[in-house]
Amino acid sequence: MGSAEEDYNFVFKVVLIGESGVGKTNLLSRFTRNEFNHDSRTTIGVEFSTRTILVGDAVVKAQIWDTAGLERYRAITSAYYRGAVGALVVFDITKHQTYDVVDRWLKELYDHAEASIVVMLVGNKTDLAQAREVPMEEAKMFADNNGLLFVETSALDSTNVEQAFETILKEIFHKVQKQKQRNSQSNTVSLANESTESTAPTQTEKRPCCVAL
Amino acid sequence: FTDVNLNSRNTYEVSRRRSAPEHLPHGGTAPAAPAPPQEPVERARRAGIAGAGSSFAEFFTRNFFTKRTKELKPAVQSAPGWKLFGKVPPRENLPKDSKIIQQEYEARTGRMYKPPPPSARRKNIEFEPLSTTALILEDRPANLPAKSVEEALRHRQEYDEMVAEAKKREIKEAHKRKKIMRERFKQEENIASAMVIWVNEILPNWEGMRATRRVRELWWQGLPPSVRGKVWSLAVGNELNITPELYEIFLSRAKERWKSFSETSSENDIEDAVASVADREASLELIKLDISRTFPSLYIFQKGGPYHDLLHSVLGAYTCYRPDVGYVQGMSFIAAVLILNLEEADAFIAFANLLNKPCQLAFFRVDHSMMLKYFAAFEVFFEENLPKLFLHFKSYSLTPDIYLIDWIFTLYSKSLPLDLACRVWDVFCRDGEEFLFRTGLGILRLYEDILLQMDFIHIAQFLTKLPEDITSEKLFSCIAAIQMQNSNKKWAQVFASLMKDNKEGDKNHSPALKS
Repeated sequence: MGSAEEDYNFVFKVVLIGESGVGKTNLLSRFTRNEFNHDSRTTIGVEFSTRTILVGDAVVKAQIWDTAGLERYRAITSAYYRGAVGALVVFDITKHQTYDVVDRWLKELYDHAEASIVVMLVGNKTDLAQAREVPMEEAKMFADNNGLLFVETSALDSTNVEQAFETILKEIFHKVQKQKQRNSQSNTVSLANESTESTAPTQTEKRPCCVAL
Repeated sequence: FTDVNLNSRNTYEVSRRRSAPEHLPHGGTAPAAPAPPQEPVERARRAGIAGAGSSFAEFFTRNFFTKRTKELKPAVQSAPGWKLFGKVPPRENLPKDSKIIQQEYEARTGRMYKPPPPSARRKNIEFEPLSTTALILEDRPANLPAKSVEEALRHRQEYDEMVAEAKKREIKEAHKRKKIMRERFKQEENIASAMVIWVNEILPNWEGMRATRRVRELWWQGLPPSVRGKVWSLAVGNELNITPELYEIFLSRAKERWKSFSETSSENDIEDAVASVADREASLELIKLDISRTFPSLYIFQKGGPYHDLLHSVLGAYTCYRPDVGYVQGMSFIAAVLILNLEEADAFIAFANLLNKPCQLAFFRVDHSMMLKYFAAFEVFFEENLPKLFLHFKSYSLTPDIYLIDWIFTLYSKSLPLDLACRVWDVFCRDGEEFLFRTGLGILRLYEDILLQMDFIHIAQFLTKLPEDITSEKLFSCIAAIQMQNSNKKWAQVFASLMKDNKEGDKNHSPALKS
């Protein structure tokens, strides 16, 4: 249903960040195409995916930027945070090191993104529970203390992937709505300015990735 | 594995199958169950099968149809009435039946079917149009009222038209098939004759001939896989004077380091002892992680695969040889392509020298200001060659870094089918960095019409995941149409002048990279 895909009320730009190998690309492919690859290719630079979901009675198109996790690339990829209204900071629950550097990722993020950005901490690979190195309570507490949403997922067995994206998109949506009410006079909302830009041309190619699964 | 048409796209099915194990019943005995990683040979074999996927499918359908037509045959002879046949595959052993049927039909209708004009039946087309078997007009079943004469006539006419149409189509398809075969033969002949020229004439007189027009033209056609590695090596050169012995030294150093890491990390957890140690360890970890993510669909570089250790060695030795550069993602793809075409030490020598080229060094060191210069130079030629698309991209503030980073870092080996990427490498070895950007413009030109219809996110998605059916003929004709001239200035001059006004021009390009 191509028309439904392009018929949206909001476009939310969401970035996926975190160390290399924590499963960002697979989280995204699970969410947008319900696919998982044991050996997905290394992401270099940035890749894109979209999916349209319903929040209340609004159609929200998530425009997700999947960035390369390599430290050396961070200088490049941080430029892509601009204009993002949401971010998933992903770590691997079986590798403590990927959790230790979450602080650094957050700093990068707040340095380059807007302050109002909604951030979710995602502990991925719960299917490897026997190799867990990061206790869930610890991560949850960290998230609470830093005002982040938190969820644990498994891109492999699909646990919580849908919920993770839905939760953050809903949160962004509510934030946008609140902001809209606050400055109902002004026609653009800073959080949603992406949408006005991207909705302009309706002559867009229909791509399968966004079709409901 | 000198020939790299192990096109990664062909093995797509395999990875998909492996990607959905959760849909299979656990403990099931399904033979298509995902191969455990300990069975690399089995996996590679299966990848090979998938590579021949299309012909397999053909084989199965053919067999299936033969059986079916056989089963149906008795019915043809006995029962009267309407008969509908499935589409009969071409070149099956059915011409006899179809002839009989046609004769029957002709006898009944009292008309001879007019053969298609002789021009269409040129020479020896090795097939017999079988469309007449598609629908057979026979007596109507008794329980149906008779057709009026008018209706019968009309039906007959419609039928004739259908048959004629189908024949035309089949003849056209046969011609197309023949043409493809002819092209393939021609291509193979070309490769064979080119190989002779490369081996006997060019390679023995490399320095004298490499720049001649004839060689350059032959080079553009694509290097024969058997000399590809050799020509790449010669073209990249060995400015760094690396010898195979030197490679061995760095390799053994890398191996020592791996050993000491596995020991120390298990013994004592050195927290923040030395930052560089952690970094280096991360680098080694990263290599390990990336190797399995390099051409995953080929099952060559994954753990247990035939070239896994090789790739590991080349990358490890490089981090010891150039600690100032270290390992950067994207390198594994370049090393892998070289390993597919060269012996281990030669692959390393070519790898180190290739990464030492100014453009590669700028990218792999993630030297921002230099990268911006390259993007800016690219945009100069983008605007010159594809002004409409250039403006379209501008209107969405879609900057070249979004797609060029992936393309340049991996020299297209990740974004194009592997055989096509190798052809790009061929000319890259001939023309240098300029050709990388020319190829990028060729891709944009090839898809210009589609891209002009897209908005930001669709363009970004499209360019970071190019269509899989991209062909070398089309791409290279588009690349050939790209002029690397900007008001009489060539790439190198444009780039040099951008380097000159380093200070002032810094902020005008690629806003996405300004931070």
